[in-house]
Amino acid sequence: MKWTATLLLAAVALMAPGLAAAIPPEATYVGEKTCIKCHDVEAKHFGHTQHAKAFRQNPRNELEGRVCEACHGPGSLHAQRGNEKKREYLVGFTRDWGTPLDEQNAVCMSCHKGGQRMHWQGSAHDTAKLGCSDCHNAMARFSANGLLRAASVSETCQTCHAQQRADFRKRSHMPVPEGKMSCADCHNPHGSTTKTLLKADSVNEVCYACHAEFRGPMLWEHAPVRENCMNCHAAHGSNHDKLLVAARPYMCQQCHVSPALHAGQFFRGDQSARSQLSGGTPNPRMINRSCQNCHVQVHGSNHPSGARFQR
Amino acid sequence: MRPRAIRATLLAACISASLAHAEDGAMPAPGNVLNPAPVNPSTAGRWMDEEGMGTRIPAARSPIGRLYNMPLDAGGEAPARDVPGWINSAYIEFGLVRSSGTGTRGIPGYLDFDSGIYLNTYALTAEKPSEARFFEATGGAAGRDDQFHHVQFGRYNDWKVTAWFDGSPMALTSNYRSLWGGTGTSSLNLSTLTPGGGANAAATQTAIQNALAATPPGELDIVRRRAGVRLDSHLSTSWRMFASFVDDKRDGARPFGMVFGGGGGGGNFEAPQSIDYETQDFVAGVQFAGERNSFNLRASASFFRNGIDTMTVQNPLFVTLNGTNGLSPSLFTQGRFDLPPDNEAFNVKGEYAHAFPEFYRANLTATAALGSMRQDDKFIAPTQLALTGGTVAAGGASLANVWNTPDALSRQSADARIDTRLADVGLAMKPASALDVRAKLRYYETRNHTEYFACNPLTGQWGRLLNDGSGLSIVTANTTPGANPAGTSANAYNTASCSLAAVMAMNLAPVAGNIPIASIPFDYRQTLGSVSADYRVGRASSVNASLEREVMRRDFRERDETTEDRMKLGYVDRGTIEGAMRISYEYDKRGGSDYNTNPYAAFTSAGFGPAPAVNTQSMATWFKSIEQFRSFDLADRTQNIVNGRVDYSIVQNLDGAISFQVKDAMFPAEFGRTGRLRANSATLDVSYQSGSNAVMYGFYTRQWSNMGQRGVHPNGCVVGQTYYFFSDGRVANANTGATAPATPPGTTLVGTQPVTAGNWETACASAAATSPLFPESRAWEVNSHDDNDVLGLGIKYDFGRMKLDASFTRMLGRTRIGYKYNAAALGMTPLQEGLASRGLSDLTFSQNILTASLLAPIDRNISVRLLFRQEIGKIRDWHYDGVTANPVPANNTAFLDGGPVDYRDTLVGIFFQVRTP
Repeated sequence: MKWTATLLLAAVALMAPGLAAAIPPEATYVGEKTCIKCHDVEAKHFGHTQHAKAFRQNPRNELEGRVCEACHGPGSLHAQRGNEKKREYLVGFTRDWGTPLDEQNAVCMSCHKGGQRMHWQGSAHDTAKLGCSDCHNAMARFSANGLLRAASVSETCQTCHAQQRADFRKRSHMPVPEGKMSCADCHNPHGSTTKTLLKADSVNEVCYACHAEFRGPMLWEHAPVRENCMNCHAAHGSNHDKLLVAARPYMCQQCHVSPALHAGQFFRGDQSARSQLSGGTPNPRMINRSCQNCHVQVHGSNHPSGARFQR
Repeated sequence: MRPRAIRATLLAACISASLAHAEDGAMPAPGNVLNPAPVNPSTAGRWMDEEGMGTRIPAARSPIGRLYNMPLDAGGEAPARDVPGWINSAYIEFGLVRSSGTGTRGIPGYLDFDSGIYLNTYALTAEKPSEARFFEATGGAAGRDDQFHHVQFGRYNDWKVTAWFDGSPMALTSNYRSLWGGTGTSSLNLSTLTPGGGANAAATQTAIQNALAATPPGELDIVRRRAGVRLDSHLSTSWRMFASFVDDKRDGARPFGMVFGGGGGGGNFEAPQSIDYETQDFVAGVQFAGERNSFNLRASASFFRNGIDTMTVQNPLFVTLNGTNGLSPSLFTQGRFDLPPDNEAFNVKGEYAHAFPEFYRANLTATAALGSMRQDDKFIAPTQLALTGGTVAAGGASLANVWNTPDALSRQSADARIDTRLADVGLAMKPASALDVRAKLRYYETRNHTEYFACNPLTGQWGRLLNDGSGLSIVTANTTPGANPAGTSANAYNTASCSLAAVMAMNLAPVAGNIPIASIPFDYRQTLGSVSADYRVGRASSVNASLEREVMRRDFRERDETTEDRMKLGYVDRGTIEGAMRISYEYDKRGGSDYNTNPYAAFTSAGFGPAPAVNTQSMATWFKSIEQFRSFDLADRTQNIVNGRVDYSIVQNLDGAISFQVKDAMFPAEFGRTGRLRANSATLDVSYQSGSNAVMYGFYTRQWSNMGQRGVHPNGCVVGQTYYFFSDGRVANANTGATAPATPPGTTLVGTQPVTAGNWETACASAAATSPLFPESRAWEVNSHDDNDVLGLGIKYDFGRMKLDASFTRMLGRTRIGYKYNAAALGMTPLQEGLASRGLSDLTFSQNILTASLLAPIDRNISVRLLFRQEIGKIRDWHYDGVTANPVPANNTAFLDGGPVDYRDTLVGIFFQVRTP
């Protein structure tokens, strides 16, 4: 019986969430100046952040006016000599401090809920158990905006998304390493209605934000284009021209056969401009822009004669 | 009230105080190649703070165990609230740069590399703490194509205005030899060549070769300039609003193309497309965040305008006409494009969230959005040429002055519209302290209202002129004996005055089955439902699982419906090791309704009447695809994906991480994308911090993937023919009942297949050993294998008097394409076979980028920085093999873009950093 009870208690302990580092109710607010007596270096950096400026210069309520304690909780117990390392007396946002992730995020979300964080719960990053402070560092102004942990959105994301970092270095890629766009131009890292955290309702609507010329609608539509740009294009980078997922003409031939015409024909190495110099027969489908030498308006055409995207 | 209770109450009443950034209508503060991160006005030009964050050197770790960066020196304390008046600061880094190298930008080149005075970055700030007012202006590369500027001003916790400007040059090719003047305008006129070609094709080919030999290669590029302004404001403690406007302009030119003639082309050349795009986006919204309820409402309007909506290009070729009589190739002196039309898009989106803390801490979210994309461009006439003397080869109908007017069209403008709708509902609950569950239902649809019939009201002809009249794709009644009642005129359909019902009532077989006669309003409806659960198994570890079903219903595609089921299992552990582990496995299976290889019959001439299955009639145009072919976006597919990541604190100041993805997708179809598609990626990351004097990092990524596909080189399907299949794969044919073709030496006859009026559909539809149209001996296979390696190294080191900041990136990419085929079956000559058997050269890309700067403070406010940046790139792309040496490899074809060239761009600079005390 005793062992059963012990095992049951152990099971419950295992099942239960980590003990919430709830600050004891007898803790009171001590004010920012008390915090700064020990944390002057932190305060020096913190003072340049948007949180500090907003809380110090134009707090909207009493809690914001607490500055440090608005996020870390009332610090009277923490400030007592000998209590500095006691985790339960303060809300911390670093790994070592040990405040449960749920509690850390709840502090941030108490002010930052809604807006673009409305779909955080159950999002990919939430499921991966990321804390707000995995991507943000509110204690210093590392980035121009956003209180990120790194100097830019892209550098922050690439802390974990190494595959995409490599994709952006391929022959054709979105201009992220060049500073002309960032991950946040297409994604909302806080969650969205789409699985891949897109900012818009579909892949195409994201792409049209910069490539509105393909939005149309066109008189003559190209079905895979209208449905999903990623049928033909890689999102981040590709070994092929124009971020295509495969080399033309073979990419086009993964849909097109055209028994009466040329789409299904076998195109090969004796059909290049170089091979012609050795007696080969050149074929425009194997040279330069391949199928798009003729089917130039591959994203759709508005010309009355453009059913095959040639005008 | 106890402090904790006060806190709970006030927290519950706290508003969403973060002012939006990187959100609708706003762009994150931009940068450029030399400054990929936005300029930080607090720390611009500064080094790491030797005090770090105070309590820990190196810095503390984030919840998953990654070291935080060392903070940069912010230059002292921020001003206190009671400091009166405005406090200003200014920082500028300027100097001289000198660039050298091949003179060509990397492809694509995003950097303005010109030598000269260079204002690299600047930051101006003004702050009035007593009133919480602020102003910040940052930017760089002033006056250059890649310049960027960002201004923010307002009142903290109240309102903010953000304005920004970003220039982005993009070099698309630096190896283009233009034959025209007027590139970038609506009219491209040949500089030296005769429009319409010379006396004949051979003479024209020589003239073009000579013109190109005298034309140096140049650059085609596009410059994008974007500017935006945004207002964010708190309306009350719970409400805030935002409004923004963005103007996006693109100018330049890019490689394009142009073709004349009919199906298969009668001449093509690589004309440049002129770009003059402008998009204006308006976005506005309100947000509410209360204790239990949150609400977002957003409305947007986007207007795309093309400053060059038609482009006329003079034709240098002596083209081959198709489908017409009585016209001369030299008549086709120019062609006209209808470039992307002006369009508008509107969207309204509402999101709502409600918390039920007393009911298993539930949270409900609901989203609804309505959108519409529209364009109503006026159509242009199919040709500008009168086509006097020209007639349709089949039937002899005159082409004179009946196609060179918009009256030749069934409508005068597009009136095209696609509406979108989104509805998304999610419910998350916490039925037990360690258990989270979530369910979601999403519906998204597009509705295409575009309708166009390709019929000329002036003539009653269905179909269209091709390529300004150098070709035709007109539906005529079939005049093959027996196809239609004796005496049926090829022009019979013309008498129906463009009434489709009247045409179909004639019940006449058309000449071909694949001529488009109407636009296809593609649209789709997506329904996605998922359930997921997350269970905490330890203090900092959890398992998660999800099930998802996505149903896509499409109109006018080969499959009415596809269904994909996805199952995902994951494990996250942030406590067992000094770091974090995350691993997940996903299994996807896609299937769907029956596959229809030709869903477009109603939009083509095949719908006009019965198939003319009579002797000598080729039936190939009544097939769109091979029966066993599957378009990859609709095909059955099973997919396994494993993702994993381990972050580990090796020692106090050294982090390591391994991440990987293994993706294995199986396409069971016999033709189309086939076999296993594999895509794998693995990365090793290491980062080291030794306080403010040394930070180093390195990473290596290896990626490899492969993709396979199969097709069949079509043969023929002529009624009244018998097809003979030989052991080496060759296929021959002869009139049924006539003497059989001779068996090629060394081969045997392995099968025959007659094509009759009664069996053409079954005999020719599928790929088979004895299929007349898709004989398996003519099957081909292509495999593409990608390999990529990326190495990155970086170091920041403080030598005391000098500080080094350097990074190096090396990228190697290779795509190998191999193919299999039967040369005999394809009728290849020994020469062709010899050349083809060498295969395609690997597509390779290598790039090395080294950036290094040495910073030497002169005094507290002035520093000097030396910059070195070198980028070396090599691209080998088999598409361009031989083009520079042989740009006109045949009559009627000219390739003007020689392709990517190796480049080496070196930039050295000396900058002075000056900041106000």
